[in-house]
Amino acid sequence: MNMDNRKDIPTIKEYESRLADLYEEYYDKVARYVYVHIGDKEEAEDIAGEVFLKALKSLKSYREQGVPMQGWLFRIAHNLTVDYLRKIDKRRTVPIDSVILVGNDNPVDTAERSIDFERVTEAMKQLTTEQAQVINLRFFGGLTSKEVGGILGKSDGAVREMQRAAIEKLRGIMGAEK
Amino acid sequence: MMTDDFDRILDECIDRINRGAKVGDCLSDYPAYTEKLRPLLQAVHDVQKTCTFAPSADAKRAAKQKFYAALDKQGRMAPGLSLLRLIPRSVAWATIAVLVLAAVGILVAQPVVNPPTLVPSRDGNFAFLISDEPNDIGDFESLNVTISRVGLQAAGSLKRLEFTPETKTVDLTRLQGEQSQEIWRGNVTAGQYSQVFIYVSEVTGKLKSTGQIVDVKLPGSKLHLSMPFEVTTDAVTSFTFDITVVATGNNGKYILKPQAGGSGARQE
Repeated sequence: MNMDNRKDIPTIKEYESRLADLYEEYYDKVARYVYVHIGDKEEAEDIAGEVFLKALKSLKSYREQGVPMQGWLFRIAHNLTVDYLRKIDKRRTVPIDSVILVGNDNPVDTAERSIDFERVTEAMKQLTTEQAQVINLRFFGGLTSKEVGGILGKSDGAVREMQRAAIEKLRGIMGAEK
Repeated sequence: MMTDDFDRILDECIDRINRGAKVGDCLSDYPAYTEKLRPLLQAVHDVQKTCTFAPSADAKRAAKQKFYAALDKQGRMAPGLSLLRLIPRSVAWATIAVLVLAAVGILVAQPVVNPPTLVPSRDGNFAFLISDEPNDIGDFESLNVTISRVGLQAAGSLKRLEFTPETKTVDLTRLQGEQSQEIWRGNVTAGQYSQVFIYVSEVTGKLKSTGQIVDVKLPGSKLHLSMPFEVTTDAVTSFTFDITVVATGNNGKYILKPQAGGSGARQE
């Protein structure tokens, strides 16, 4: 898109329409992305809703310069997640509380899932910041490597390389803990 | 070059897995890379499986209503027109008339507002009790749980009521089995309710064996039970929320969780 040609710049109304189109496909992905960071299902659902509201309010400042709108949504999700994590008690930084604890869960299953989740999140903490972002956006946000590259300012080749290195590292850490 | 090829293949397989393909399907398409791909794709599968999470339909619907209400409020889309997006496109035009009426009805009847905080009353029609289903509570000399507030979700609507317990801290070791403790009593709007939330602000557990204070994790900022019950005006509904503590393996860690089996409402 030629950003210098005003005829080619989408109107706010067109951006609103595009955001509404993205809602159905991306609400779940954004919620999943947030959930992996904070480990709380209901808070993740709330934050995912906030992401779209914030995006709607900020459409005037949105300009599509290499980052598609879905990538922009994940930037907002990331910022809201960081805000949330700053607010909560630091004792909860290990999100063992990730499991969906609805009613009749078997306590043993619940505990095992909690341990698995803790194992994965602990392993993720050992990745570099960019590797972790690649994994979160690819595995849980469902973005393509090209879209992730747009968010991180990297080529898709660089993203693929980081992705492979991150998976190898995760596998090594998680395999060693078993 | 070989590494770049492998990175591309791995990337493509991950795209396919993200779209629902199985690890085996990807491996069978790249027999020359199977040995190298298998452990990495298995790791991808394990990580995704462990962190699987699908938002609830209720949460998604509520968030969507807020979003489209905000969209309408901005006044840039024709009022009400954006609400058509609340249903799949395939049925949108076939249900225009019904949808407009329903959407207007939803917005009028179910405004998204902060939940009201109820006032306690000894003569109230609703009592809230805490109990403990014995699992690993025997490990504790005391297990104090501090509850900052309780939420009740009305069935079939976005309406949620909240109250602050009169007794905020309970010792679960004293509430085992049939034992329970009332922490709030007051008037609650009669009707059907579907979920109960307890917001826990602090947990302090002291082990019998060592006398040490042990770390007890919480499932998020609140404990949540999906359990339908009814509150009426002509009887007192007592809802018992059963909490249990479970050891998470042999690592000395414990987690609190709601226990549906020991929870529920009864009317007196």
